[in-house]
Amino acid sequence: MELKGEYRIAASKAKVWAALNDAETLEGCIPGCEELDKSSDTEMSAKVALKIGPVKARFKGNVTLENLDPPNAYSIVGEGQGGVAGFAKGGADVQLSEDGDETILSYQANAQVGGKIAQLGSRLIQSTAAKLADKFFANFRDALEPQEGDVKD
Amino acid sequence: MYETKYHKASSVADAVSLIGESDDGKLLSGGQTLLPTMKARLAAPSDLVDISGIANMHGIKVSGSTVTIGAATTHAEVARNADLQAACGSVACLAAGIGDAAVRHLGTIGGSVANNDPAADYPAALLALGATITTNTREIAAGDFFVGLFETALSDDEVIVSVSFDAPSKAAYAKFPNPASRYAMVGVFAAQTANGARVAVTGAGSDGVYRQSDMEAALDSDWAASALAGVQVGSEGLLSDMHADAVYRANLVKVMAGRAVAGCA
Repeated sequence: MELKGEYRIAASKAKVWAALNDAETLEGCIPGCEELDKSSDTEMSAKVALKIGPVKARFKGNVTLENLDPPNAYSIVGEGQGGVAGFAKGGADVQLSEDGDETILSYQANAQVGGKIAQLGSRLIQSTAAKLADKFFANFRDALEPQEGDVKD
Repeated sequence: MYETKYHKASSVADAVSLIGESDDGKLLSGGQTLLPTMKARLAAPSDLVDISGIANMHGIKVSGSTVTIGAATTHAEVARNADLQAACGSVACLAAGIGDAAVRHLGTIGGSVANNDPAADYPAALLALGATITTNTREIAAGDFFVGLFETALSDDEVIVSVSFDAPSKAAYAKFPNPASRYAMVGVFAAQTANGARVAVTGAGSDGVYRQSDMEAALDSDWAASALAGVQVGSEGLLSDMHADAVYRANLVKVMAGRAVAGCA
């Protein structure tokens, strides 16, 4: 399935690029992320807990950064095993462009889910994936634009 | 299924304290969603707190135009309740069309509402009727209760005790069921209430149940299925899956709304 979106972030391109490469920022933005450890500049391992209605699954996997073109674009690719629940993998091509003092982040993402979670959740995978992607980039924008009364989840 | 500890709560207060003491507990009502999920090992709550046996959470009371349904009341009980059939037949009729006989005899209104499956039937009725969801701590208006996909305003240790609403002057529910699961591919609950026309759609929105305000406006000026002809229903924000894409669902919203209005009694 394919997902895409665009966000305007009130921060410089250099700052957005740095955040895109910062494990701590990413950890705070990935919905349900419990751990994200950097093993090299482009490789990280992650633990993510996913909760959709009654389903609760914990995925362990790797996140890699590819096609780096600093500070304009990269691809972030992830793959995880959720035990009996199945597996999930996906990637997003992220582009940054400058607009005055602000930065426009656009992404095209694709995701695949397999195993039991895909069978049971086939009618919900698309909307859940879209929601998670949206949440990630919204969290990311909020992390760069500290606002009062912000609620992050 | 993974190992879990089973508790039978004797009262609402007992259920709240049991769930509060548990490590990663879940409330169990009819279990028609939770148990299949656990059997598939997609959920592993440490404790199950069974609230289906709590006496004051059962039954249907109609006083004047106000209908109150206990959260542990099964769909089958709602479907065949004579007082409800007389006061608000549309809700009884909706309950008769949920799932299959096994689901209707175990599944409960509280469980359905708390789970907020985006294709469940009850949320459409409660949203259209402006129902109030009463929990152990507060009363929540349906419009504030259904937050998103499987998301509600409930906190983890909050127990729904009952739902209540005023019987509308006219109402009907029309759904296009998935032939296998009987979940709504699209379901529309239309009602003429004291606050005007209400149209709530389930099964279609990617954020769960929602009100179709363009249709409500059209019905406010002319309560007839033909009044919906000019209303445009876009496919943006609608669910798309292997059973039906967003464009098809958008069309179904219109067709089901027409049937609901035409079927109003």
